[in-house]
Amino acid sequence: MPTPVFEARAVSKAFGPVRALSDVTVTLNRGEVHSIIGENGAGKSTLMNIICGRLQPTSGQLFIDGTPVHFHNPKDAQRQGIAIAPQEISLVPDLTVYENIMLGAQRSGFLSIDWARTRDEATRHLHEVDKSIDPRAKVSGLSKAQQQLVQIARAAATEARILIFDEPTATLTYREEEVLLAYIENLAREGRSAFYISHRLDEVRRLSHRITVLRDGVHVGELSPDEASRDAMVRLMAGRPPKVGAQDIRPVSTAAPILEVQGLTRAGEFEDVSFTLRKGEILGVSGLIGAGRTEMAKCLFGVTRAQSGKIRLDGQEVAFSGPYQAINAGLIYLPEERKQEGIFPLLSIAENTALPTIDRFSGLLHLRNRDMMAEVARLADQMKAKFNALKDPITSLSGGNQQKFIIARWLMRDAKVLVMDEPTRGIDVNAKFEIQSVLRKLTEERGLSIIVISSEMEELLDVADRILVMHEGRVKGVVDRRDATQEGLLQLAMA
Amino acid sequence: MTSAISTPDGRKHDRRQPALLARFWGWEASGVLVALAVLVLALSLATDNFLSAYNVSVVVRQAAFVGLVALGQTLVLLVGGIDLSVGAGAGLASTVGAIVLTQWGLHPYLVIPFTMAFGFFLGSINGVFVAWLRLNPFIVTLATWEIFAGLTLVITKGYPIRPLGEEFGIFGKGEILGLPVPVLIFLASALVLIWVLTQTRFGRNIFAVGGNRDAALLAGIPVRRVEFIAFGLSGMLASMAGILFASRMDAAQPSVGEGWLMGAITAAILGGTSLRGGQGSIVGTVLGALLLTVLANGTVMMNVSGFWQRVIVGAVVLVAVLVDLLRRRAS
Repeated sequence: MPTPVFEARAVSKAFGPVRALSDVTVTLNRGEVHSIIGENGAGKSTLMNIICGRLQPTSGQLFIDGTPVHFHNPKDAQRQGIAIAPQEISLVPDLTVYENIMLGAQRSGFLSIDWARTRDEATRHLHEVDKSIDPRAKVSGLSKAQQQLVQIARAAATEARILIFDEPTATLTYREEEVLLAYIENLAREGRSAFYISHRLDEVRRLSHRITVLRDGVHVGELSPDEASRDAMVRLMAGRPPKVGAQDIRPVSTAAPILEVQGLTRAGEFEDVSFTLRKGEILGVSGLIGAGRTEMAKCLFGVTRAQSGKIRLDGQEVAFSGPYQAINAGLIYLPEERKQEGIFPLLSIAENTALPTIDRFSGLLHLRNRDMMAEVARLADQMKAKFNALKDPITSLSGGNQQKFIIARWLMRDAKVLVMDEPTRGIDVNAKFEIQSVLRKLTEERGLSIIVISSEMEELLDVADRILVMHEGRVKGVVDRRDATQEGLLQLAMA
Repeated sequence: MTSAISTPDGRKHDRRQPALLARFWGWEASGVLVALAVLVLALSLATDNFLSAYNVSVVVRQAAFVGLVALGQTLVLLVGGIDLSVGAGAGLASTVGAIVLTQWGLHPYLVIPFTMAFGFFLGSINGVFVAWLRLNPFIVTLATWEIFAGLTLVITKGYPIRPLGEEFGIFGKGEILGLPVPVLIFLASALVLIWVLTQTRFGRNIFAVGGNRDAALLAGIPVRRVEFIAFGLSGMLASMAGILFASRMDAAQPSVGEGWLMGAITAAILGGTSLRGGQGSIVGTVLGALLLTVLANGTVMMNVSGFWQRVIVGAVVLVAVLVDLLRRRAS
């Protein structure tokens, strides 16, 4: 057997008393796509950060072509031909796309950078990933998905032999995902190698030559694509038999409408959007990025003002001039960017949950802390959230558990309608299923009505009662879950 | 994304080549240039001698000193830092330079490079704390401000060092082709920095580090070195202003840089440099320094009480920030 291009042998990493990785060994062969899967907190990102030089292992050894190497920083790793397209967007917003792609690797000419050559080279790499992005545009003007693609082009532009893709498809829609997967397959055919991290098991199975499963920082198994059935992967990741599966299909609701939207329009964002949400119903909103889903949700929530159209909440016509009014009326929006717009990273779990309703716990001169804790604990129990202590910072929780507490935050009020934008993005399968179950339970037990915006069709098919399809700002149709298939929805969106 | 957009009259503009006016407006230093032009025009109409050769040379020479400090400050702001120690550093460096000149007998022509090197050293102290120890630049430079100012007083006991000698005086008082030497040095420094920032990898790295430090780190940019050098250069440029001023006054004043800190930051901000890093330009800072000096000069020419000058400068800064906000919303 040939020497692997890369090997991480018996690598461990401890953060204080916490062992994030224990004795993990992975290898990468030439032209191979090797996927690393595992639940959040399994150690995937830690391992990738060690491989790309961002972190140094506590013990263990890295090898390139069989030679031991040490990386003190990402530059060392780059010199050895390792590049990463990180999960979080990591670009310089005020620079152009092409400068970002060639960051730190601009081509030099006489006395100055050779801009023409730098730009040409960047454009070539960019066009291999996506042809629609203008290399001269400023990065700050691009959508999240486009930024993700630019980041991938940048990793590729380093001419690295070993590429790390950390959840590259999390922000992408179906079509962009297709292009990206084809691109990675092509890289492998050219003899470059890749580590690939994703929660989307279908693409992992399609893309990988090998799949390594991590759980709690330990290597728990290696699968070939033939062995890697969905069940097998989930079982290894979770360490128990999978409970993932579709929720039952509920009968179409005939309850009274709680939210009626008629002809809602904001030029350039969405046009003539009409739909009805019934009490206790979950309405899925599907569509590609740029379909106007998020913009529509933000308009409902009063962040932006509609140019025309009507919104009726519980029979009353409303026109919110800000989120504050929407919240008071019982309409809540949970944004897509949990980290940026959803949590207060410096505050505790309890404070994060109770903050918008803190008035309820104010005594004469003090905060009735014990009542607050009790209420949060009660909801945490209802949401099946896992945590150490409610006093811990919210950032100590996994993404799935953070999301549960953010939902709990709004249950402390009498919310009528919950609009959730990509509620389970970047959350592992089990937590995903739990959140979906919780949403179902909330509609049944509390009569809550929910709109779920998602780029993942599987998720909508799992959780929604009806699915509304948007495309380029317009509603293309509403499909009952009974009649919905992935292909059918896609066709509706493309039609 | 389409690159062509329709305008109401049906014509199509290519988005990559917007109308000249829109492009000008999109430039971060456009506001300060317009303000400067309006102010110069108004002052030359309202007074007889604003545009006189003498007054112009007074204005540009004043602008040169605060401008040199502002150039360094711009570099530090661009990497996402701030340098509060520039004025005190200028005082300490020019004091040490004067001592080396008068007591150790260093050749006058070598005193300027010596002082610059010493200034770089002072700035690099900030650089070590900020870049390698990751301390907050505001706090670090607040502390070194005190330390530099204190050391200057310890060395001089508060008295100026003088005289510095005729030969040394040419750097501050001399003229080449009718232009004061400090102005030439300021313009040359600005030109070099424009080239560095727009055309060299180190310059682009400055924007990258200030725009997104993590991204720069991941791109393999030597982030700490870039930050370190930016602080070093800030100290160097400030000390240059200090020693040139000493040469002009024929005395090294311990308090030489007291007014320069606010002036330098104000000039950079007026020129469109963002306090959050990653945005700004040298041209903007040069124009900002000019605007600031013209304002001060204008109040004198118009017989406005000197006390009002600070009120006016403050108001101009607020207006500049507002205009910048509107500009950004529009684009």
